Amino acid sequence: MNKLHVNPAYCKGCLICVEACPTKAITPCKSINAKGYTLPEEDDMRRCTGCMLCETVCPDFAIAIETDEDQGG
Amino acid sequence: MKKHPMLKYLKEEAPAGPRLPLIMCPGCGAGQVLNYALHAVDTLIREDGLRKEDFVFISGVGCSSRLASHYLNFDSGWTLHGRALAVATGALLANPGLKVIVLTGDGDAAAIGGNHFIHACRRNLNMTILCINNGLYGMTGGQVAPTTPIGRTTTTTPYGNVEEEFDLCRLAQTAGAAYVARWSTAHPHQTIKTIIKGIRKKGTAFVEILSQCPVHLKTAPAEMFRDLKKNTVPLKKAGKSEAKGRIPVGVFCDIDKPDWVTRYQEIIGRLERVESTHE
Amino acid sequence: MSPNRTDLILPPGAHYLQGSQACAEGAITAGCRVYAGYPITPATEIMEHAAHRLPQVGGRFIQMEDEIGSASALLGASWAGAKAMTATSSPGFSLMQEVISFAIMTETPLVIVDVQRPGPGQGYITTSQEDVMQARWGHHGEGSIIALSPASVQDMFDFTLEAFNLSERWRTPVLLMAEETVAHMRERLVVPSRDEIQIVNRTRPKDLGIAPESYLPYGHAEVPPMAVWGEGYAVNHVSLVHHTDGNVTRYNSSVHLENVSRIHRKIEDHVDEIARIETRWLEGCRHLLVCYGSVSRTGVEAVLEAREQRNIPLAFIRLKTLWPFPERQLRAIVPEVDTIFVPEMNLGMMKHPITEALRDRCRRVVSIPSLGSLHSPELILDRICEELA
Repeated sequence: MNKLHVNPAYCKGCLICVEACPTKAITPCKSINAKGYTLPEEDDMRRCTGCMLCETVCPDFAIAIETDEDQGG
Repeated sequence: MKKHPMLKYLKEEAPAGPRLPLIMCPGCGAGQVLNYALHAVDTLIREDGLRKEDFVFISGVGCSSRLASHYLNFDSGWTLHGRALAVATGALLANPGLKVIVLTGDGDAAAIGGNHFIHACRRNLNMTILCINNGLYGMTGGQVAPTTPIGRTTTTTPYGNVEEEFDLCRLAQTAGAAYVARWSTAHPHQTIKTIIKGIRKKGTAFVEILSQCPVHLKTAPAEMFRDLKKNTVPLKKAGKSEAKGRIPVGVFCDIDKPDWVTRYQEIIGRLERVESTHE
Repeated sequence: MSPNRTDLILPPGAHYLQGSQACAEGAITAGCRVYAGYPITPATEIMEHAAHRLPQVGGRFIQMEDEIGSASALLGASWAGAKAMTATSSPGFSLMQEVISFAIMTETPLVIVDVQRPGPGQGYITTSQEDVMQARWGHHGEGSIIALSPASVQDMFDFTLEAFNLSERWRTPVLLMAEETVAHMRERLVVPSRDEIQIVNRTRPKDLGIAPESYLPYGHAEVPPMAVWGEGYAVNHVSLVHHTDGNVTRYNSSVHLENVSRIHRKIEDHVDEIARIETRWLEGCRHLLVCYGSVSRTGVEAVLEAREQRNIPLAFIRLKTLWPFPERQLRAIVPEVDTIFVPEMNLGMMKHPITEALRDRCRRVVSIPSLGSLHSPELILDRICEELA
């Protein structure tokens, strides 16, 4: 199953990644972080196809998808 | 933690301290354009055998231009407002082998830089111009720009804009650019493919990317991203009724003609041959 | 990509050229291979000669859409490794000031020739020295600059070559403050032999063994070594206040002071190395004539006449460098005098730093203005005699 990585140092909570995700595998977090941003978090990563649209559209290079391949699977 | 694949092309840490996150507002389209440009460069490095040192990013002044301020792990120049294209011209005359990518905005390119813009297109110098068009002056607080739609309220058109806007792609095309295209931040794959094509193209490639400014237009980034998809229409459908009120996107022209340096090299070659016949 | 035809630069020996042509030739001899320009009287001949000669030596010439574009193109050319130049006249010089300011902050070597004509406004198309203050103060902000003042066709060649050497050595824009007189005159020019000509090139980090990973674009030395685009140094040129590594967002006032002060000191602390003056008849003099540019030609005639025909013990100083102003050098050599005469083709501009430097060495400083035309020796001498009567 693919894993979501969000770098809280770079993410500004714009949520364009959530908007772009074709399978809604990720979702906005329920709470805001210390900077006041709503980061994306995993909803159900079984839906993640590894299309990498979230990575492609991120304005802050804050998101990465770790695939089964990356994990050595 | 797994890092974003394009971070290898940015300067995260440097002696004077961390440079990221980008200075852009949350959800600003400029960072997305950089992401797309880096994807394009990455493809060219892998497929065309280009090297990182072949590329140079030149920008003017504004939010779009800030992308080339100190973030890039490439040669770059963060230059004067409106003058990036003139700087790029000089760079190509000195080293025509450079893969020049110009990062500019709508105000930077079409207002103060308008003169250099039309001449760069006319000259067909071998560069790729990425014009991040958000329809206003962002860095200075949201003033009207030559690309602001008529009627819109901005800080300098508090009663509504009385001017019509430029069609930057038609302007570039008329001025003589060899490759002209428009997409938006909501068209990631098309933009990436177009940037690749533009860099491979010999001559001036002008790529306008409609971009969201969530802060000055007071709309959430994801909503603006959704709207950009909704409010654009493929170029080939531009004449149809479904295109009404929507901005056409696509490739406006793709012409093959010699670039400036190629033409000038013929002169140098000709003079060399004349000189050697006199020996 | 282009052949660098060093065999086709102006050969050693005597030539008869117009000042404009000599200027372009001096640039080519110095290694200038990019010229971007715009037509303006009385500087156009420099551009036309460059258009003709640059492709012959493997360089590239472009006529840009305006002066701002021309000066901006020099930035890109320099960062991409070329020696680059443009020539303009006073109105165009005004347009280039933002680029000059930028070049000072980014420490970009380039040469701008201002063939001065009268102003303000369109003024006229004859000769002038009305931009000499603008040369120092016309760019916005702090930072110093180097400005040379040629007086002959020989100087147009020599000083242009020197302007390039200075710009490369000090990593700064250099101005050649010519005048219409000297650009349009035709005289004998003697080009020295190849080994007598010194060419200076910018120090690059690879020359000092500095690897890309450790390179600081604005560090390492008082005059930072300059990486060229395309060599793998990932150099970011920025004109916002910056750290030595090029970082622009960690601003604080001490970084600001250090950044801008260094750029200022880089030139001003080295006046002795940079500025040149010519002096004659200082021994036993009672009065002094200080001049620059083409006024030096008629000025020296007036001084000779004053000494030989009127027995006036008048010394002669010619400022070859206007900026940085050689205040210390002047104070070191000028004795107590009565009157200092400053003939200028303006209403009195360089008289100010001259007065500031020598106020306590003289009773008074007297301007001898002429607008739009070169002073004749008689004009200068009559005024001197009038004042000393």
